[in-house]
Amino acid sequence: MAGVQVGKRIIGADSPVTVGWENIGRVEGGPIKQFVFTYFQPAMLLLAIGFWYYAPNWLAVASTAIAIRLGWTVLLLALEWVNPRYQSWQLTWKEFATDAFYVALGMTFLRMVDAYIGDGVMVAAIQDAFDWEKFDWFTGLPLLVQAVLISMIFDFGQYWMHRGMHNWYPLWLTHAPHHYITQLNVQKGAVGNPVELFLIGLGIGGFFDFLPRAFLLAGAIGMTVGVYQHINVRFNTPRWWRFIFNTTEHHSVHHSQDYEATRSNYSGTWIIWDRIFGTCVDGEAELLGMEGGRRMHIGETMVFPFREGWRDAKAWLAKRFGGGAAVPAAAQLEPAE
Amino acid sequence: MSGAAVSLRQERPIVKGLKLPLIDNIWRVRGAVPIDPSLSADQAFARVDPLLRTPGTTIVAEGGALVYSKHNPAAQDKLATFTRGRMWIEQAGAGAVLRFDLFSHALLLCFLAPLLFLGFAQLAVTLNAWEAAGSEASAKAEKKDEKKPPVAKKLNPVDEFLGAPAPEDPSKKKDKNKDKDKGMHSPDEGYYLAGFFFVVYLVGRWLEPFLVRRRLRAALAAPPAAAVPAG
Repeated sequence: MAGVQVGKRIIGADSPVTVGWENIGRVEGGPIKQFVFTYFQPAMLLLAIGFWYYAPNWLAVASTAIAIRLGWTVLLLALEWVNPRYQSWQLTWKEFATDAFYVALGMTFLRMVDAYIGDGVMVAAIQDAFDWEKFDWFTGLPLLVQAVLISMIFDFGQYWMHRGMHNWYPLWLTHAPHHYITQLNVQKGAVGNPVELFLIGLGIGGFFDFLPRAFLLAGAIGMTVGVYQHINVRFNTPRWWRFIFNTTEHHSVHHSQDYEATRSNYSGTWIIWDRIFGTCVDGEAELLGMEGGRRMHIGETMVFPFREGWRDAKAWLAKRFGGGAAVPAAAQLEPAE
Repeated sequence: MSGAAVSLRQERPIVKGLKLPLIDNIWRVRGAVPIDPSLSADQAFARVDPLLRTPGTTIVAEGGALVYSKHNPAAQDKLATFTRGRMWIEQAGAGAVLRFDLFSHALLLCFLAPLLFLGFAQLAVTLNAWEAAGSEASAKAEKKDEKKPPVAKKLNPVDEFLGAPAPEDPSKKKDKNKDKDKGMHSPDEGYYLAGFFFVVYLVGRWLEPFLVRRRLRAALAAPPAAAVPAG
C-alpha cells in the first residue's frame, strides 16, 4: 500500500485509510434522511445547551443528567441500527453485552476507586498542601464561557494524557487493550483496561470553581460532541463542526490498523487541539484494531498491561544484568514511537 | 482449551452420577433445522461449512458429527456467541434434520454478571459502613468548613439578561445531611446493573438461538456457491 502523505508522515501504508474530507462516505438515501443525518449533531448540541441553560434548579441536577444520558444512548443505538456507517461494524448481542460490561464496571467499581485516588482527591490534596484557594473569579464568567472552558481544559488534559499513552511504553500498555476494538459502537469508549480508564479520567478542572450549571453544560457538550468518537452512524457532518470538534471519522483514523494513522487525532471532544499541536488527520478508516484485527476478550483486557509489563520488565532485566539474549517484545506491542 | 476441538458429549456430568438436565440450558443451546431430503449428509455439511470456516475456528469431523471450537472469535463472526458446538444429521420421519448442540461462554458469563454487580453493591455498603466508623475525621473536616459559610454565587449579567435561573443559595440547603446519611458510595448502580444484565441475558438466550437457527436454515437452503475456504 502506498499511503498518503500528510505533513511529514505517510498515512495508510499498512492498512487502508481514507484521507481528506472529499473522499469520505456520504449519507445515502432520500432528502429527509439526508436532512436528519446532516443536522442531527448540531441540533442535539443546541438542544442540550438550551435545556441545561434554562432548566430550573430542581431539574438541573446530576440525576437528570444520568437519565438523559441513558435515553440518549438508546437513541444513538437506534441510529446505528437505522443508518450504520459500515455493515462490518454492526452491533451484535455479544458486542453489546461486552461493551455494557465495561460501562457498568465504570459505574460501579471504578467510581468507588476514584473516590479514593481520583482527580478530586488529588486536587484537594494539592490545594491543602499549598494552601491554594480555588480560582473563584471563574464563577463570574458567562455560563457558556465557563462551560466551554471546563470542556476545553478537561480535553486539553485528555489530549496530552492520550498522546502520552501513545508515546511512553508504560502508559501505552494500559491503553493498548482499547486499541484492540475492531469496530466503533456507542459504548466502545468504555472498553479498555481499568487503569487506563482511570488515567484518562484525570482532570485539572477541580482547581477551578465553576457554577454547578456550568458543569452540567460542559457535560452536555461532552455528551453531544465527544460521544460521536465511537459510533457506527454515517453523518454528513457540517464543515465547521468537523473543523472544531472530534468526529467518528477522525476517531476511526485513530483506531485504524495503520500504525501511523493511530498516532493522530488524540483529543476527545475538541479536535482543534490536534490541529493546534499538529496531530490532526482528516479522514476515515473501516479496518480497525491491532494484530490484524484480533479481538481481545474481557479477561485479557483486564490483565494485559500487567502481563506485558511483567514480561518486558523481565526481558529488560535479563538484558541489563543477565547478559543473556533478551526475548524481543512482539512488534505489534511496541509503543507508537 | 488446548487448541484441538473439544467434543461436546450429549451428557457430561460434573460429578459422576449427577445429571443436570435443566441447568445447562443456561449456557447450552440445542435444536434442529430441517434439511432438504435430496441433500446427502456430506452436501449438507458442505453448505454449513462456510459459516464455520472463520479465523480462530477448529473444525473436526467426529463420528459423523461436525465438532467446532472457536478461540476468541471476531466480533462479526456469525457464531461468535457459541464458542463450541457439535452438529450432526438425524433422520426425522421422511426427511432429515441437522441437529446442533452449542456451548456459549458469553451466555454463561452474562448469566453470572449480575452476581458480580451485586458484589459491587455489597462492597459499596461495606465501604460506607467502614467510612461511617471513621467519622471522627470527617467531623473535623466539617468544622473546618464551618469557618467560612458558603456565599451565594451570582450569575454573570449576560446570563441574567438571557434568563438563566440563578444559582441556589448554599446556606439555605438543608438536605446536606440527608446525603451524608446515604454514605460516600451508592450501592444502587450495582443493583440496577445486576437487573440490567439479567435482562441482557434473557434477550441473548432468546435472540442468539433464533439467529443460529435462521443462519443455519439460510446456509442449508443456499447452493454451495463457491464454497471457498476463507482464512
